[in-house]
Amino acid sequence: MLNQEEKVTVNFKDTPLDEVLSFLLNGKNLAWTYSDDVVVIHKRMGEGPKKTETAEDSTVTPSLLTGKVTDAVGSPLSGVTILVKGSNQGTTTDMDGKFTLAKVANGEMLIVSSVGFETRSLVVRGRSVLVQLNVEVSALDEKVVIAYGTTTQRLSTGNISTVKAKDIERQPVNNPLLALQGRVPGLFITQNTGVAGGSATVRIQGQNSIANGNDPLYVIDGVPYPAQMIGVGSENIILGGNPLNFINTSDIESIDILKDADATSIYGSRAANGAILITTKKGKVGQTKVNINLQQGWSKVTRGIDMLDTRQYLDMRYEAYRNDNVDWKSSDVTANDLKLWDTTRYTNWQKTLIGGTAQYTNINVGISGGTTASQYTVGGTYHRETTVFPGNFADQRGSLHFNLSSKSINQKIQLQLSGNYMVDNNKLPRSDLTSRAVLYEPNAPALYNTDGSLNWALNPSGVATWENPLIYQLYSTYSNKTNNLVGSATLSYTILPGLDIKSSAGYTNMQTTTFTPIPLGAIAPQRRASTPRTATYGNRSMTSWIIEPQLAYQKNIGKGNFELLLGASIQQNNSSSQTINGSGYSSDLVLGDIKSAVSIRPEYSASIYKYNALFSRINYNFQNKYIINATARRDGSSRFGEKNRLHNFGSLGIAWIFTEEKFLDKSLSTFSFGKLRASYGITGNDQLGDYRFLGLYYSTGLDILPYQNTIGLATTSLPNPYLQWEKTKKLSLGIDLGFWNDRLILTTTYSDNRSSNQLLPYMLPSITGFSSITSNFPATIKNVSWEFLMTTVNIKSNTLSWNSSINLTIPRNKLISFPNLEQSTYANRLIIGQPLGVTKTFHFVGVDPASGLYQVADSHGKPTTSPDYLTDLTTLISTLPTFYGGVQNNITYKGIQLDFMIQFVKQKGRNILFNNDRLAPGEFSRGSSNQPTTVLERWQKPGDITSIQRYSIESDALATIYNATDSDAAYSDASYLRLKNLSLSWQLPDKWLKKASFHNSRIYMQGQNLLTITKYKGLDPENRSITSLPPLRVISFGVQVEL
Amino acid sequence: MNSTYYNSSISLKQNVFAGVHKKRTIPFRAILSITILLFLISILSCKKLVDISPPADQIADDNVYTTDGTAIAVLTGLYTDMSKPGIFAGIGSISLLTGLSADELTLYNGVTSPSYIGYYTNTLAISTAIGSDFWGPLYNYIYKCNAALAGLNASNSLTPLVKQQLMGEATFLRAFYNFYLVNLFGDIPLPTTTDYQANSQLARTPVSQVYQKIITDLKSAQGMLNNDYLDGNLQPYTGDQERVRPTSWAATALLARAYLYNGDYANAEAQATTLINHSSLYYLPSLSDAFLMNSTEAIWQLQPVLVGHNTEDGWTFILPSSGPSDGDNGNPVYLSTAQLNSFETDDQRKISWIDSVTVTGTTYYFPHKYKSATLFAPLTEYLMVLRLSEQYLIRAEARAQQGNVSGAESDLNAIRARAGLPNTTANDKASLLTACLRERRVELYTEWGHRWLDLKRTRNIDAIMNITTPLKSNGMQWKSYQQLFPLPLADIQQVPGLTQNPGY
Repeated sequence: MLNQEEKVTVNFKDTPLDEVLSFLLNGKNLAWTYSDDVVVIHKRMGEGPKKTETAEDSTVTPSLLTGKVTDAVGSPLSGVTILVKGSNQGTTTDMDGKFTLAKVANGEMLIVSSVGFETRSLVVRGRSVLVQLNVEVSALDEKVVIAYGTTTQRLSTGNISTVKAKDIERQPVNNPLLALQGRVPGLFITQNTGVAGGSATVRIQGQNSIANGNDPLYVIDGVPYPAQMIGVGSENIILGGNPLNFINTSDIESIDILKDADATSIYGSRAANGAILITTKKGKVGQTKVNINLQQGWSKVTRGIDMLDTRQYLDMRYEAYRNDNVDWKSSDVTANDLKLWDTTRYTNWQKTLIGGTAQYTNINVGISGGTTASQYTVGGTYHRETTVFPGNFADQRGSLHFNLSSKSINQKIQLQLSGNYMVDNNKLPRSDLTSRAVLYEPNAPALYNTDGSLNWALNPSGVATWENPLIYQLYSTYSNKTNNLVGSATLSYTILPGLDIKSSAGYTNMQTTTFTPIPLGAIAPQRRASTPRTATYGNRSMTSWIIEPQLAYQKNIGKGNFELLLGASIQQNNSSSQTINGSGYSSDLVLGDIKSAVSIRPEYSASIYKYNALFSRINYNFQNKYIINATARRDGSSRFGEKNRLHNFGSLGIAWIFTEEKFLDKSLSTFSFGKLRASYGITGNDQLGDYRFLGLYYSTGLDILPYQNTIGLATTSLPNPYLQWEKTKKLSLGIDLGFWNDRLILTTTYSDNRSSNQLLPYMLPSITGFSSITSNFPATIKNVSWEFLMTTVNIKSNTLSWNSSINLTIPRNKLISFPNLEQSTYANRLIIGQPLGVTKTFHFVGVDPASGLYQVADSHGKPTTSPDYLTDLTTLISTLPTFYGGVQNNITYKGIQLDFMIQFVKQKGRNILFNNDRLAPGEFSRGSSNQPTTVLERWQKPGDITSIQRYSIESDALATIYNATDSDAAYSDASYLRLKNLSLSWQLPDKWLKKASFHNSRIYMQGQNLLTITKYKGLDPENRSITSLPPLRVISFGVQVEL
Repeated sequence: MNSTYYNSSISLKQNVFAGVHKKRTIPFRAILSITILLFLISILSCKKLVDISPPADQIADDNVYTTDGTAIAVLTGLYTDMSKPGIFAGIGSISLLTGLSADELTLYNGVTSPSYIGYYTNTLAISTAIGSDFWGPLYNYIYKCNAALAGLNASNSLTPLVKQQLMGEATFLRAFYNFYLVNLFGDIPLPTTTDYQANSQLARTPVSQVYQKIITDLKSAQGMLNNDYLDGNLQPYTGDQERVRPTSWAATALLARAYLYNGDYANAEAQATTLINHSSLYYLPSLSDAFLMNSTEAIWQLQPVLVGHNTEDGWTFILPSSGPSDGDNGNPVYLSTAQLNSFETDDQRKISWIDSVTVTGTTYYFPHKYKSATLFAPLTEYLMVLRLSEQYLIRAEARAQQGNVSGAESDLNAIRARAGLPNTTANDKASLLTACLRERRVELYTEWGHRWLDLKRTRNIDAIMNITTPLKSNGMQWKSYQQLFPLPLADIQQVPGLTQNPGY
């Protein structure tokens, strides 16, 4: 019954005896009673059904009570403490959530409590009870994952935000980063393209580096994960892609965003841009559960641009010729659109090329369960997403996730093993059709000839007069096959009470092959004789491993709790990429075979990154009132010169939970929680690429004939053995307040980050042999931000609950110093006192009523059509957001749950007004001549006051179109308010489920990017591009069943 | 019997539960000290752990000079680079741009590039950075020589003969580059190491000292370079010789030129004589064979390296049937009337080395020393860097300067004979020197800036350019300071004590 050998080490202080006993005897089939100085531990009453039957008839236990405790959805809860109020009797629930208590009379009160759940009390009536516990509402006590450990929002000294699985799962997105958009203060994510597998830009508290990486550090289950892909093959359509695309969103338990120095300094030279920690799902104690989730959705482009129709387009063209006094019918004028193409045709190219509906399918099956000794979860997901482009394209992925955790019986050895494997097959057109969809002439030729062949609209001499976009659907495709493995293991051993030794190890491996063929059909007919078939084969491998031994010590010292963590980190990344361009194939059929190429041109690159560190953290928590947290790290990275390879980083964070002070306790009853926190520390940025400090010799081989049958070697840059990291000093001040038992929690953070020691090309006189050397430079960038987060429990009753969360971030980015800026290569790109990325533009003053040409102001404010690019670029425009945030609501009524999230961004962006490939309205250049309908407001005759210049066939001659493109009028408000996510689900009634022997099942609807309110003049205000597909609107329906 | 009473040994005296098992004490100290030891090891090895080997596709500078193959490839890389379109070959070359600055070439009137117009009209200016084009690339080449010399010097794993030849090549090349720097820009900084901090403090070295350095380098290169042409592995050729790596003869040829430019006529004559006397290797072929690959006149040539091209000079100078043109791949120049008029009537070079195209009634004459400008034509021509006829002309001039009239005459006549011309009529020092200059003009035109450099060193530049410049630039006058090109503004601003050439 009780294992004599078992050793238990616990450390309780000022803890009620019931809790201690509950902890000690959890899962042991024992119950207890105690009096003043004796504790009696005895076998649980009535174990097993047979015994219960006999027990009921027995006079020994006249008032035996049986019961079961479940969570809100009916799953049994084990380890729940049940106490009989006013007595010294208690027990815990077993694995099935069941308990028995002897000697409990009707009318006595039971106190049912468990960590993470609201404590309930109930009066005993009858001989069996069923108790449902609700998850504790206070968000302050939910687990927050930090570097090398966990904490809670209540006790944290840092600036950390958490997004949980329930919010991630509600969003039909294929990249977990996209599930974070609008939800986290201080985190700004831009989806750069709506193409599946495309790239995203992630910035935590702004841009710190002028010339190097600004990506956060990604850590998945303790294993660092790449933030960027190394380039291979041709990946234009996905804009280089993003490694997080290969992590399955439904495998994620939580994502924690670490922002300030207190949370990130322990990551040393990798953490200047913050850290994003992804924790995957783990098994829970309880019965084996099978979870099946089927989801089917449809996506479309959110918005279009109003472009000229054929009538308007032709009128524009004719008027342009009239304005320029050119007779378009004359034989020396080439005007294919007017002379060769059918001028009665009209095609809505946006509808034809990007107007399709993409299918979204997601099937997820998970099995989980476990005993107190070991838990497991295994899940498999199949995901398929097609495109809005015409043609048969799809991104298909299958993934497998598992997690095992196990503890030895004496609880001293703990093992955790997890793995994620994904196979992705992404097939896309080689080129994004968005710019074609927007700019193709409305009377451009038909896609097919009457005989069904592709129409090249040949002119009389057999030359194609346009590029048929279907070549990208039928011939010129791109395929990317990626296998991605993320594995980690943690083994820990408790040496002595409070002293644990632990080691975690991780391995990631991503293998990609890409294939981009250009068969004969993709080549214009007149060029086929002289242009060979080509194909590009790409091969990429990115591997990293990490080992992190750690020692954790915990002890009560004085009236507080002291924690010490010591650790070391050894990491290595290997990456290589290989691109082979083949040309001269004899047939389209052999394009997949490199051996069939007449000539091949290889490209190759490989790099190794080694990283090594020692780290420590000391935390002292004095009565949950004063908390001090200090971290230190000594860090070495192979990216730095041998003279500067090691460096120290550190931080200090303090928190004062003033509501724990006695003087506040009673005076403010509505005030349930109040914390002031401050942190300061130093972090680094080593995202500068490998080997930058080395003097390297490259092969001069490519496209060059060997000299004396030898490929030469050449050096291309000066080595700098002093190269070191960019340094960011982070100050963070915050106040967290809770009201009405934490039903309203308000978090405010002010942060001031200063990044210096910037790695930039340092200008050298050319007598040194080079014009620059990569060197650390005392330029400083300041990122200040205000972050606000308010979470509220608006309504809470048994049937209805309504929670809200509102966040707002006000960032400011500023270059505060840059010695000798004027002499640097950045003289034209940076301005001291202005944000990074600020653009100098002309001030647009409209159209000259006399000539009908665009005018901008010169430096004296006088209108001119020929401004000086050196002196007249006087207006500064920044496209960084001025504020952004989101409003989230969760409403539950009985079995119905409604969640919606509204994202808002205030920013400026480049509009489409003059951004039409810099063609003047009226000009014709095959495939890019259509104009937005705003050009209808053009100048027509002297005296017209308007903002669009006269139609003309020649932009070069006018040049004013270039001035306008570089003026402030080319930028306009790109702010938007977006219903980012809406999710509605209905829990199926229990009586239905019982018939089918299902436990917990729901049907649901989810939507992403459903509604966008914006004044932006262009396709989508998020990616603000006409060359990349905008983020798509997705609507999906699904059913989730638990067996 | 259902319940077992168990009297717990847990002490409740204090509110603290503590560890209860004392028998099997864990060797805590041992574990802790092991752990600390492990940490100490990782501290000590921290630096080692982050040492990386260079990437597989690149070689670190300290490894390049450890094996013969990679060390040779560094110098081969320099020749490869020199043979590509750049300051030594083709459209932006010294041959073309100084030919425009002097009186050799005419710029096609459709050319819009301010750079060509600047060189052509002798309106180089610091504000537009036109005229500084050669400065940065030449110093980049010098850096590579200095890096190679440092690396080779420090290496002790190379085959001694390979090391010696490569040191000779790097030393020779450094002299070659310095020769052009000093002739184009006057007094120049003279870096001899790769230390960028020291180099970025270098002020100008007077021309005479630069020449001293050039001569020292060339003499030392003469001693190190092999007398025979070597192949890509620095082995003697077993079959046909290629004259595409410098030999001691290349050092001798450049040394003769350096002595001549420096007024050391005795030495100039002596160096040229050793070359001319080495007739088993070097003799004058017919005009049409002079510029072929591995011609018997070639002392050093550069092998073409662009796929499908013969020489870049041929590619640029030879006009297609459509005539001259603007643009990056255009043919922006043709021979000037002054150059055409400088040939004597029966000069066969006018026929063999010049060709023309006529486009809508205008005939454009162009240099035709190199004859191949057809894509993927068989490789027949290499870019000539140093050739024998210059040595005859050097010796003729050196002998004339020393009063050796008959010697000078015979050298001139050797060149004239090949061109189908009668013996020279010059018969005293002054007329011979004039004859030498004229002969150089018709022999060496559009090659390596000879005309521009000759005009400068013989101090004839003002007289000639006072006439030529107004013709080229719509009447603008020649300004004497334009004979030196301007230094780039960025260098003037960054190097304390580095002054701009006067006039700019």
